[in-house]
Amino acid sequence: MAAAPLFILLCSGEHEKIQMAAMLASVAAVSDRPVRVFVSMNAILAFEKGKSASERYHGGEFSRLIKENKVPDAIELFGQGKMLGDMTMHACSMVMDLKKWELDHLADGLFDGMLGLTKFLADAEDGELMTL
Amino acid sequence: MQTIDARGAFCPGPLMELIAALKLSTIGDQIEILSTDKGSVADVPEWVAKVGHKMVGVTEKGDHWSIVVEKAK
Repeated sequence: MAAAPLFILLCSGEHEKIQMAAMLASVAAVSDRPVRVFVSMNAILAFEKGKSASERYHGGEFSRLIKENKVPDAIELFGQGKMLGDMTMHACSMVMDLKKWELDHLADGLFDGMLGLTKFLADAEDGELMTL
Repeated sequence: MQTIDARGAFCPGPLMELIAALKLSTIGDQIEILSTDKGSVADVPEWVAKVGHKMVGVTEKGDHWSIVVEKAK
């Protein structure tokens, strides 16, 4: 039986939560599980195109350790999940409107489009929803 | 046999490197991944069983592990 899709609602701008979301998404995607990621609120700021890691990620003790050690970068992990598995990423249309951003403001090759929360929630009824 | 040196990489780096290499290989190819990440010892065999490849072996080699996987599909 096929695994239920994993829906990830990523709204925290905290590095540790973005990292965890990237790990969950990429590992699930490469394990033959469809993954749908919806990025909203402060999390969207980490995906702004052209930022360095120090500008992109802000957090606590583990953010520091992740940056100091050879831990895969969250943005790269999301990219690997998309490349190697069935994974889509959507930016929350509300936060994109508030920031007056278009998709080309976000890191290249990650986002499949913008989406409203209502549609994401409706789709998530068919799978397991995790919020970070 | 192709060997990927993922020593020093943290979870899920070694697994992702293995998967990328498997994608580029052909059925029957064996790939060895060297890892210092303790989680890989359990995570790689779990992933291999789930997606239908073949575990050849896991060997502790001092400060790291050698994990060999055969592409089966």
